[in-house]
Amino acid sequence: MSDLDVKKRPSIFKRKDVRLTGFLWVIFSVAIGYFAGEVQTRSMGAPASDTMATTINMMKVFTWVSAPIAGLVGALAATTLLSKLHFGDTPPEEADHEIRNSPRIVSGWIVVSAVLCLFAVVWGMVVLQKDDAALLNPKSMNVNVVGQQWVWNFDYVDNGKVRSSDLYLPVNKPVVFHVTSKDVIHSFWIVQMGIKIDANPGYLTETSVTPNKIGVFDVRCAELCGLLHAYMQTKVHVVSQADYDSWIQSQGGKI
Amino acid sequence: MTTVLDHPTSAPGNSAMKRPLIERLNVFTAFGLGIISAIVFWYLARTFLPENTEGSFIKTRLDAVTIIAMLGWFFGFMTGIGALIGPFRWLLGKDLDHDESMFYAGKDQGIKRYFRYTTDHKVVGIQYLVITIIIFFVGGTLAMLIRMNLGHAGGGWLQPQTYNAIVGTHGIVMIVGTIIMITGPFGNFIMPIMIGARDMAFPRLNALSFWLIVAAIPPMLSSFFFGGISTGWSAYAPLASQAPPGMDGYIMFIVIFAISTMVAGANITTTVVKMRAKGMTWNRTPIFIYGVVASVALALPVFPLFFLSQVMSAMDRAVGSTFYDVRGGGSGWLYENLFWIMGHPEVYVILIPAVAALMEMAPVFTRRPLFSFNTAIMGIAGISGLSILVWAHHMYVTGWAPLLNGPFMLTTELISIPTGMLFLVLIGTLWRGRLWMTMPTASIYALLWNFMIGGITGIYLSDVPVDGALHGSMFVTAHFHYTLMGAGLTGALASLVFWFPKMTGRMFDRRLSWIAFWLVQIGFNVAFIGMFLVGLAGQPRRVDAYAALFNQGNSVTTMAAYSIMAGMLVLLYGVISSWTNGAIAPMNPWFAKTLDWTVPNPVPLENFEVLPVVTSDPYGYGKAQS
Amino acid sequence: MNKRLVAALGTVVLGGAVIAGLGTYVASAKNDSRVLAATPAGTMETPQGKLPHYTLEMAAYPDSMAGSHGKDGGVHADWVTYGPVTNFQVPAHSAITITIKQYDSGARLNNDFFATVHGTIDGTATINGVAVKSVDPEAVGHTFTVHGLADAKSSLFVSVPLPAVPDEKLPPTGYTTNPTTVTFTFITGDAGDYVWNCEYPCGDGTTARFGGPMSTQGYMAGNFHVVNA
Repeated sequence: MSDLDVKKRPSIFKRKDVRLTGFLWVIFSVAIGYFAGEVQTRSMGAPASDTMATTINMMKVFTWVSAPIAGLVGALAATTLLSKLHFGDTPPEEADHEIRNSPRIVSGWIVVSAVLCLFAVVWGMVVLQKDDAALLNPKSMNVNVVGQQWVWNFDYVDNGKVRSSDLYLPVNKPVVFHVTSKDVIHSFWIVQMGIKIDANPGYLTETSVTPNKIGVFDVRCAELCGLLHAYMQTKVHVVSQADYDSWIQSQGGKI
Repeated sequence: MTTVLDHPTSAPGNSAMKRPLIERLNVFTAFGLGIISAIVFWYLARTFLPENTEGSFIKTRLDAVTIIAMLGWFFGFMTGIGALIGPFRWLLGKDLDHDESMFYAGKDQGIKRYFRYTTDHKVVGIQYLVITIIIFFVGGTLAMLIRMNLGHAGGGWLQPQTYNAIVGTHGIVMIVGTIIMITGPFGNFIMPIMIGARDMAFPRLNALSFWLIVAAIPPMLSSFFFGGISTGWSAYAPLASQAPPGMDGYIMFIVIFAISTMVAGANITTTVVKMRAKGMTWNRTPIFIYGVVASVALALPVFPLFFLSQVMSAMDRAVGSTFYDVRGGGSGWLYENLFWIMGHPEVYVILIPAVAALMEMAPVFTRRPLFSFNTAIMGIAGISGLSILVWAHHMYVTGWAPLLNGPFMLTTELISIPTGMLFLVLIGTLWRGRLWMTMPTASIYALLWNFMIGGITGIYLSDVPVDGALHGSMFVTAHFHYTLMGAGLTGALASLVFWFPKMTGRMFDRRLSWIAFWLVQIGFNVAFIGMFLVGLAGQPRRVDAYAALFNQGNSVTTMAAYSIMAGMLVLLYGVISSWTNGAIAPMNPWFAKTLDWTVPNPVPLENFEVLPVVTSDPYGYGKAQS
Repeated sequence: MNKRLVAALGTVVLGGAVIAGLGTYVASAKNDSRVLAATPAGTMETPQGKLPHYTLEMAAYPDSMAGSHGKDGGVHADWVTYGPVTNFQVPAHSAITITIKQYDSGARLNNDFFATVHGTIDGTATINGVAVKSVDPEAVGHTFTVHGLADAKSSLFVSVPLPAVPDEKLPPTGYTTNPTTVTFTFITGDAGDYVWNCEYPCGDGTTARFGGPMSTQGYMAGNFHVVNA
């Protein structure tokens, strides 16, 4: 294996294919970052909690960070495709070089991917830490969530014996969900709030969120749980504190 | 036939019967004996097993009977195909003589050798190719049924239990199909020639690994008649212990398939380590060999866990144990761990050989050396090593061990570094090459595109908070289809066209390969981009019905799926028509430099008259330093 | 060469036809299309004003000898089942009164939530002539629980427990002549496809007793269509 690079050519940036690649790189990176980021943000809809807003934001940043990598690979690939192509039953001439390696490019590539990877990990950890800390917030209200094939039900343990099949939450109040299942594994997912935790039989799992928007949102089951898994869905009604209190009273609970 | 059935094991001792027995066993006797044995076992189990006791947690009798009948099928089939003759003779102290070995190798048997327990690696390779095509046909048909159901606005065309069974079977059939799609046909047929060997290290194990797969398929397909595999391919407990007896078919399928994978893994690894041609040092060994070895060697430590997880699942169902039942002190998390310790390395078992195969083709079709061979090896080794440390990223939201989410996020994202190396090698090889545009060449570009999308979406999912939003949604389904199908299958189809001339002696019809390529790739990208969108909008996986909000995305996906179907059918026709009357292939149609192209068509029984000596790596393309 | 293209096209058509045929077969063979539509019964005064009124009658049996499984109970004669069919159709924006005759014994629910009546007018159901809001969770035979997808404009969630017939009142063979009769009325919203299932663990002895008939439409689960009248 020879590690011979191309003969030192100070004018590498003047080569036509290199320039074309550079040009395409910029265009592709911007296009990928913008297009992919937009598509994601639009598809995911308006967030109903900070957790979801952070998630959408993270995905957008990840998209912009990986866009130059994808853009570079795309630009290099496009440049090679724009060179002379050969069709037929016999091979074209051999390439006019036999470059087998370039330690500089390889090490540069590894360093860049390692840095990007580190960035993703560190940022992910920071957000994760915030989400975990929210579980310990003493001001949170508590809701017990029980999954049973194929219906969710909710116990408002802070409000006496109130139970419901639709979830009611006051806006801007942190809530901790204590989730379990009566039979198989389900997964409690509030779509617009970006939280999800499995409901396991015999165990309690926890997740928390602070809804920040009044409205009606979706709870879906995200783990195949048998026959009517598709229908194991319900609604979340995020209402003002006053409306929440009157709802609790109408259900015979205490505030 | 009756003689065989009456004296399946006494025959080897009887010299008059010896020849005829070996020569009589084939796939038909195997199916015959398998079915008879299954019926006998079923009858015995039904007659003698005790009734369910009142106190047992789980109803067990029906499952015990089903599993015993399937074991009966398995033993009967393996006996009927002749897998036991070798070990039995070895126990008696008189191994097969030369003539018998030659018979086993398929000498002078024409087409019949493909229906026997034949040890020649080329026969096994062709057998694997055919079974892979059959598996993809079954899995693809099921995929189309899924898409037909979801293309109907709101879903709900099939009944939910039917739909669930189709989804579960599609999943496991395709996973098995993709696991064997490269290491099976090409790893067996091409790999020994490529390293300059006359056969595999353990030819009989080679035949065993193939016939085990054949033995595994009927139990799995039979599940359709017993309620189906209603749990998805992951078969999570306790849902699996609730599932109908079809689940036993899944369990049996996995148990037998895991043995096959382990056997094949030991065999291929040994072959590559011990039997490379003289002079083929590790840095002269083609990159495809690295890919195949990494794939099967990765399967070696992890498939026993898959095996184990299903044995325990079977015990929970059939003998009332409670490994996964929380009421008896078990835990569903145990299953999830065992499953994903296999499940994540397994996607690299699928992916690595596909990428390695395209790396092997890249220098051939760019007429320049592979860029940075060492980086390619580092990438493959890095992925293989890391992949066994990342499994719990499938379990971020299970609540099993929230404190481990951070560490698993770290290991998962580290995988992007060796994966990036594979990209660098491919793109570096394309750079300043002389492109010879064939379907495999275009596949390299398709892989770069698809794998880039699959990889970046993988980075989103590896991030714990983002996974909290996307886990269990169609986004995940689209992500892994981009890696396994967009990257994996693309590599396998390119391999098919690339090695078709060597395996069949005919060229693959060029026009058909291009038509199939475009239909599949365009259809694939439209279909799964659509699936990404509905996933982002919140459609869960594995649902037979969905909200009106997802109608549009799903109908786009379904329409594009028809394009994939058309492409795959064109390819299927291409295989059949090219195989039967394609243009006769020259010895080295691609002017490649690996050893597999130095043997004539059809490849003679022991490949090489004189074993080759290797003096350089196979990538010496390009004009001398200009 | 062109012959090949035609043949390839033929393969595609043939393959597509095979798959379409298989799909149609699977869909029709497994789909029980028998639907019971609600019968009109004038109008009804409800908390939401005067609404068209419809009634629906069904029953829950301890085995499949009754219901829609044929004379000998079909493949799973010992499975519990609803009858006369398991797919129902009711009009949108109407008051629906359902009467269920429950012939089965019972025991404890997995989840007390389903011992309470949900989603009916006033949250009550009439059980053997007595209006109640909840029943003893230790003696439930089955439940009738309707639910649907989250995104429907108006959600429909109705769950009514059907108390068990005490064991001592069950005849040794055949059905009791004294089933528990449960009647309840609820108001439908917009049209949509819902499902119903039973939440009492009456399936085979698998996890949570939710396998077998509980996991098969046509026994303890089915479709509940709300359609525009």
